[in-house]
Amino acid sequence: MAVRANYDYDWPSRSAAELYGDDQLVHIWWKGNPFFVSAQTFRFPKAMPFGELVGLCKGFFAADPDFVPDAMDTVQWRIDKVDVTPDMSASLEANGVGHKSLVEFSI
Amino acid sequence: MSVSAEPRPVGVDLQENEENRALVEAIEADNEDLNIRHMPGMIRLTKTGQLVINQASVESRLGRPWETHEFQLAIISYFGEFVEWDDDQIVIAWKH
Amino acid sequence: MTVSPEKPARKLSMKQRYTALTHDLDWTPTYVTEEEIFPFTTFEGIKVHDWSKWEDPFRLTVEAYNKYQAEKDRRLYAVLDGFAQSQGQLGLTEARYMNAMKIFLQGIPIHEYDAHRNFSYLARYANGPGARFAALCQSMDELRHAQTEIHTLSHYNKYFDGMHDWHKWSDRVWYLSVPKSFFEDAMTAGPFEWLIAIGFSFEYLLTNLLFVPFMSGAAFNGDLPTMTFGFSAQSDESRHMTLGLEAIKFMLEQDEDNLPIVQDWLDKWFWRGYRLIALVAGMMDYMLPKRVMSWKEAFELYFEEQMLNGLFKDLEYYGIKPPRHVQWAIDEKEILSHQVYWVLYQYSHAAAFTTTIPDEADQAWLQESYPETWPVFKAAVWDKAQRVQDAGGRYFNPGLPQLCTVCQIPMGFTEPGDPLTQCQRQSVYEGERYDFCSDGCQWIFDREPTKYRQSWLPVHQIYQGNCGGPTLPDVAAWYGLQPGDGAEYLGSPDHQNWLAWHGQAPKED
Repeated sequence: MAVRANYDYDWPSRSAAELYGDDQLVHIWWKGNPFFVSAQTFRFPKAMPFGELVGLCKGFFAADPDFVPDAMDTVQWRIDKVDVTPDMSASLEANGVGHKSLVEFSI
Repeated sequence: MSVSAEPRPVGVDLQENEENRALVEAIEADNEDLNIRHMPGMIRLTKTGQLVINQASVESRLGRPWETHEFQLAIISYFGEFVEWDDDQIVIAWKH
Repeated sequence: MTVSPEKPARKLSMKQRYTALTHDLDWTPTYVTEEEIFPFTTFEGIKVHDWSKWEDPFRLTVEAYNKYQAEKDRRLYAVLDGFAQSQGQLGLTEARYMNAMKIFLQGIPIHEYDAHRNFSYLARYANGPGARFAALCQSMDELRHAQTEIHTLSHYNKYFDGMHDWHKWSDRVWYLSVPKSFFEDAMTAGPFEWLIAIGFSFEYLLTNLLFVPFMSGAAFNGDLPTMTFGFSAQSDESRHMTLGLEAIKFMLEQDEDNLPIVQDWLDKWFWRGYRLIALVAGMMDYMLPKRVMSWKEAFELYFEEQMLNGLFKDLEYYGIKPPRHVQWAIDEKEILSHQVYWVLYQYSHAAAFTTTIPDEADQAWLQESYPETWPVFKAAVWDKAQRVQDAGGRYFNPGLPQLCTVCQIPMGFTEPGDPLTQCQRQSVYEGERYDFCSDGCQWIFDREPTKYRQSWLPVHQIYQGNCGGPTLPDVAAWYGLQPGDGAEYLGSPDHQNWLAWHGQAPKED
């Protein structure tokens, strides 16, 4: 519904895609591991290969002492809650990762 | 003020200090089956139905005049509704 | 001595005084229309037929208000002064206790001031004299609360970190965007929605959970100033609760068309307020060295017993139902504080408070208070954090969290019945995706997407380059944080000072 106001109320998003140029925000969620209290938000180039995202994850999630980086090579990826098999050499955009998409895995 | 509600608990939280001792005693005397719970710094009084604060009871224990407005200095919180707040009496109850 | 020949006129009764000094001072305008004088009370769709029906059960007049507020201030400032003079900070249970107070004193005074501003606006723009006068009193109360909190803070600021830039922090730091967005959301609504948001939902429904167990907790931990300003503020709060209750009943009694609008606002503001005070759950259960009651117990006592079994039975008469997402809140009472404190623990390196792993005594209390859920959280996160610490480290989250678009809290709340799987809700509006921590926050967004898409989300603002730069030191500098304000409590300047003040050497480990 429209906001009840005494004028025509319409304001833009403070996190619209165009505010990030050639980049976009991406949420990465290690589902089932509350050691990282929530999904993590990153700013990545849309053109970044998906494989690079996996490499970054291997470094980032090492903050968990039980993390084994190689386990990431065999996880089931989900993008916006749909199972996918990403093309590691294709871009995030080509893999269907959009602005504020949720990229999810579990180990 | 007519009160038609099914009897349900109402209550008030007061600062527990020397200034409020007479007030608490007056409430205890005028409300049967009052439940009392002490917590650090405060006292919680609850009762099913309605809770009454009578000016005369407070004054007789305090030994000086007491306006019902003074209740504002003692109260921390309450539940129910002030169905009456007059010169001589304050009543907390649910209306419906 | 002269004796008056006639007996003095009988004193007016309280009711007569109230009517004479509020309602009877009003007049009907003749040169201009009511709409011209009061232009903001129609656009929300609330229909009012008779403003004179708005009564203040407290029957307060200017004279009585001034008299009793002056007395409250006199008592309060005597305590603050005595505490300062006697070096009362030395008698706190522990320095880490101050972390709970830091969050409160960083986050709340500025919004007391916001409430002062908005009630001033109501004191001018409400059509009826009863509503205007009650709003005027509350406006002055809120200003008093801001002042007394700042005075309390100013003493502690001489001895503890995490106090010096509260004003700037409240405008910039990530966790303080939670109260900021809440109050600014309410202030940018119309006057009737404001009354349901702040007057009713916050003051009547929820504020007991914020103040009463917390201030009793202050009393239990030797924090005399906080106990005193808290209880002093609460004495005003009782009047505010009454105003909130009067406001909702007035709207419901004036016209039955108001019911669906009021119910919608109640559903929205219950959830907004409940999410805001989630911070209190974490503070109560994890940050007080000595505890009066658990969050769960406070929730049962002050919300389930008083509100659901008391108030909502009363409001049923008007057709009002309990808040839409209330069951979700009830289901969360066993896990809420664990999740909130885990957020605070892993991001306290970017905050103006410190945290630490619950010690043995804390853990025993948590086990006793939450026998079902504490063991689950202990195994899932705390044992691991302890291992990191035993290996010479300290676990801080190396990144930035996904934030809920509505409540702005990192999305660490979980699915009902599943304490370890975070809840992920998304809506798409005009082609853009938005994230939410719960059904409640998603529902609020979906009602008014053009409002909430303007959320100033700290993480997104950092990534847009609006917060001093891309690295943690850049952002911390822009926030105005100094070394010692945040991170781990053990070994922090506050901890070291505390040990030195009490003649103890810092622990070797």
